[in-house]
Amino acid sequence: MAARFDYPQAEAIRDVLSRHAVRYLFIGKSGAILLGFPDTTQDADLFVEKTAANGDAIASALLELGFELTAEQAAEIRRGKDFVQLRNGPFDLDLVFAPDGIETFAQAWSRRVEVAGFPVCHPDDIIASKEAANRVKDRESLPRLKAFREYWLKQRRDR
Amino acid sequence: MVDPAHVRGPREDWEAEFEAAARRPLPTRVHFSFIRTYKPVLDDAPYRSFETLADYREWCERNLPTWLGYGRTL
Repeated sequence: MAARFDYPQAEAIRDVLSRHAVRYLFIGKSGAILLGFPDTTQDADLFVEKTAANGDAIASALLELGFELTAEQAAEIRRGKDFVQLRNGPFDLDLVFAPDGIETFAQAWSRRVEVAGFPVCHPDDIIASKEAANRVKDRESLPRLKAFREYWLKQRRDR
Repeated sequence: MVDPAHVRGPREDWEAEFEAAARRPLPTRVHFSFIRTYKPVLDDAPYRSFETLADYREWCERNLPTWLGYGRTL
């Protein structure tokens, strides 16, 4: 089993993906946690822009981070399969190239929030993707996540 | 008898949790938010990929124990 995801791993993602000029956003509960949502999750979810250049960049970045990708797996990531689940590296990571509930990467990027250099989806987009996915675990977390969005927006207004 | 005016609802509890989290530094929040537990089936392969997210959702519905919550119904 991979090591537990911790802040040094988050920093490694931020720094290595930045060095490779990867366009991505933290999404899902991992993104919400970076925004301040007090909850638990098990892995990091990245929304990755689906372009050929970005596919090349994320595949190279993952290899540098220590993920053991076969040539075929790296090719799939370069191509941008919609969902890739990685359990073959220093921590667990899910890549999503086309999340439910979000029209385009460009739209999500334009609304992104930067937290200590981490690019994170806006809470509205995190919520929209969970609403569209509509899994049991999403429905359980949505009421509290929506309450957090209201709190988070109020804090930003009051700054 | 408890006075309803003094009963905190979940929203008040949540707001107190949000306030407490906001006081913690980001590395501390991340440290205590990411946990590691084994998820049967899901964690049994080092790599999986799906052409579409709908394919992934369907795979979850068919293959994962319902109690993991990855399906649309329990």
